[in-house]
Amino acid sequence: MSDHISGPRAIADPVTDITDVFAFPSPESPRHLVLIMNVFPYAGPSACFSDAVTYRLRVRSVSIALDKRAFAVGAEELSFDCTFDVPAGADSGGQPVQQGRCTMPNGAIVPFRVNDENGAETEGLHVFAGQRSDPFFLDGPMAAQTLATRQLAFKQVGSDRLYGKNVLAIVLTMEWATVLKGGPMFAVVCETLTSGKRPIRLERVGRPEIKNISLGAKIFDPVNRDLEIRDLYNNEDAFNLSEHYVGAYRARLNANLAFYDGLDGKTDWPLDDHGNHPLTELLLADYLVVDASKPFCETSYLEIEQAMLEKREHSTCGGRWLNEDVVDFILTLYVNAGNGPRIRDGVDGPISWSSKVCPYMAPPNRPEVA
Amino acid sequence: MIAAAHVAGMDDITMLPVTDGTIALLNLRAQIDGLEPDVRRGHASIESRIGLIELITLRGLILGHIADYERAEEIAEQLVREAATDGTAVVARARSRAVFHRFTAALDDLDRAERLSLDAEITNRERAAIFQALGRYDEALAIREEAAGRRASFENVAALIGLYAERGEIDAAERMYADSCRRYRGVSPFPLALLDFQLGLMWMNTGRLDDARRLFDAARRRVPAYAPAQGHLAEVEAELGDIESAVARLYSLAVSSDDPDYAAQLARILGETGRAHESRHWCRFAAARYDELVACHPEAFADHAAEFWLAAGANPEKALRLARMNVEVRKTPRAYGLLAQAVAALEEKA
Repeated sequence: MSDHISGPRAIADPVTDITDVFAFPSPESPRHLVLIMNVFPYAGPSACFSDAVTYRLRVRSVSIALDKRAFAVGAEELSFDCTFDVPAGADSGGQPVQQGRCTMPNGAIVPFRVNDENGAETEGLHVFAGQRSDPFFLDGPMAAQTLATRQLAFKQVGSDRLYGKNVLAIVLTMEWATVLKGGPMFAVVCETLTSGKRPIRLERVGRPEIKNISLGAKIFDPVNRDLEIRDLYNNEDAFNLSEHYVGAYRARLNANLAFYDGLDGKTDWPLDDHGNHPLTELLLADYLVVDASKPFCETSYLEIEQAMLEKREHSTCGGRWLNEDVVDFILTLYVNAGNGPRIRDGVDGPISWSSKVCPYMAPPNRPEVA
Repeated sequence: MIAAAHVAGMDDITMLPVTDGTIALLNLRAQIDGLEPDVRRGHASIESRIGLIELITLRGLILGHIADYERAEEIAEQLVREAATDGTAVVARARSRAVFHRFTAALDDLDRAERLSLDAEITNRERAAIFQALGRYDEALAIREEAAGRRASFENVAALIGLYAERGEIDAAERMYADSCRRYRGVSPFPLALLDFQLGLMWMNTGRLDDARRLFDAARRRVPAYAPAQGHLAEVEAELGDIESAVARLYSLAVSSDDPDYAAQLARILGETGRAHESRHWCRFAAARYDELVACHPEAFADHAAEFWLAAGANPEKALRLARMNVEVRKTPRAYGLLAQAVAALEEKA
C-alpha cells in the first residue's frame, strides 16, 4: 500500500491515516498547482473527517543545493490547515453532511461542504473535500510474498486489494504564484495532527511507499530487528528530522534497499564505505518535490530527484500525478536502477482513472450490496 | 477525589481532543462497510478479517448489538477453519468465544496459539481478560501488572485500571485513571469512554451512585450512542429518583438494542413506579429474548437472565436454575451473590 495502514497508530484510527499525497501542475491551467491529500483507507460510505484532527498540507520553496545532490529547503513555510465540524443532518442519500474550512497561509478561511462537487473558492484557492475512488493500485499480497520468499513474486496479472475502494480526499487547486511564496520548485508534505492548543503530529507523508515498502520490513535490519519504526518515523518533522532517531531510519533504509537491489541477482546500487545505499539520504528527505513552472506531465515522479543525482537539469514538473504507476517505477528503481527490464507488479491501473478536470479524482465507488 | 471533583479529561487542558462520538461511530461503520465485501467474497487477508472481527465486536459493545457479536464469532470460526495454523486467527477466535463466555474453549485456543509460536505477550493479554471474567483475579493481576510494568501504554494501564475497579481497589483505580486519560494519545473516543464506564461500574458496585452517574454520563458524552453507559446511567438515575430520565433512556435502548437487558430494566422500573401495563409489555419482550439467548448462548446470558427472572420476570425457579448454571461458568463474587439471591427468593416464595 502506498501509505495505507502505515503503522500501528494509523491502523488504530484510519481517520488519521494518510494514504497518499499528490502534487502536480493543473492540466487545466499552467497557473495552478494541485495538491492532494488522501486519508482513511477502505472508507465506507459513512466515513467522515474527524473534528479532532487538523489535516495539514505543508509547502516550502526548494532549490537544488550547491553540491547538486541534495535539496535546499527554504525556511519559510506555507501551510494549509483543513478542519471539520461534526456532521449536522444527512443529505438526500442518507449520507452525513459535514462542513469544513481551509485556513490559508495568509489566514484567509475557505469554508466548504464535504462532498460538494463544486467545492469552494476564494483568493486564488479552490478546495474540494470528500469521498473519492482510491487512485492507488498495487498487488499487496505479492509484495508481501516478495519479502517472505526473498524473491520477486509478482505475477504477470496481479490482484489489487484496493480495487473499488474509496478514500477521503482533500484537493487544493491554487494560483501558485499568488498563494505561495518563492518557488517555482516546492517541497510538499502532508500531516494529520491533533487539533487544539497542543497539536501532536500523528502521521506525515511525502512520497509513496516510504513507510511500507521502504521502511516496513524489519528482518533485514542489522540494528533494530524488532522495532516497529513507522510510528516513530511518522511523529517526525519531515523538514527537520531528529538527530536521535535518524540513524535508525538510515540503518533500516540501507538494509531494505540493499535487499531490493539484490532481488535480480546483481548490484546496481553499490553501498558506500559506510554501508550507505545511494538512495538513502534522498529518501530520508521525504517530501514530494514539484516544479510548478513546468507543464503537467503524466509520468514524472522522482524525475527531479533523479536529475539531481545525475547532476543534470530536470525536464519535467516532477511531483506525482494521480494515474502514474509509481509502484512499478519504485520497484524498478530499487531492483535494477533502470538498468534492466521494468519490474511490474502486474496491476496496471485502478478501477477508475483520475481525470484532468478538478477535482481530478474519480467519484467514489458505489458500496457493494450484501 | 477525582470523581468528586470533575471527570478527568473533560475539562483538562492537558488532554488532547478526541473525535466526536457521532463521527467515531459513523467511521466505525465506514470501516466495517469498507472491509466486509472482501471478507464475504473470500478475498480478504487474515489481517483484514481479524480487523473486521475486532471492529464488529467493538460496534456490538458500543451499541449493545448481540447480532454483531454473533457475526464476529461466525467470521472468526470460518477464519480458523481456513487458517488453522495461524496463531493470530486462533486468538481472534478465542476473543470471540470469550465474548460469549465460552471461557474454557477460549483458553484452549490461547494455548493452541502459543503452540503455533504466537508471542506470549499477545496470548497473555487475552488470558488476563478471561481470568478476570472468571474471577481468577490474582492470576489476571499478575499478567496485567507485568504488562503495564514492561510497557505503560494506555491500553495496558487501562486494562489494569479495569481490574482494580472490578476488584474494588478504589484507590489504585482512581489514582491511575486520571493519569491514564492524560497519557492517551489517540483521537478515537472509544478507549476513553470504555475507561469511564469501568470506573462508573466500580462506583455503582460500591454504592457511590452520584460518582457512578458522573462517570457513566462522561462515557455517554464521549460516545452518545454507547448503550451500556446509557443503560447503567438509567439504572443509577432510577436509584437516585430520576425516574423519567431513566425511563426515557431505557425506552430508546430497548427499541434500538437486541440485548434484552434494557427491556428488563425498563420493565422493572415501570413496574416499581406503578406503570404495570407498560411493564408487562416489556417484561414479555425481555422474557422471550432471554429465552432465545439462553438457548443459543447459555454461558453468556445465564446471569443476566437470572437477574431478570428474579426481578420483573418474577420466576425464582427459573432464576435459580440459571444462577446455578452461571456459577459453573464463572466463580466470581457476583455469580455467588446472584445464586444466593436466587436461593433466598425461592425460599421466600415457598
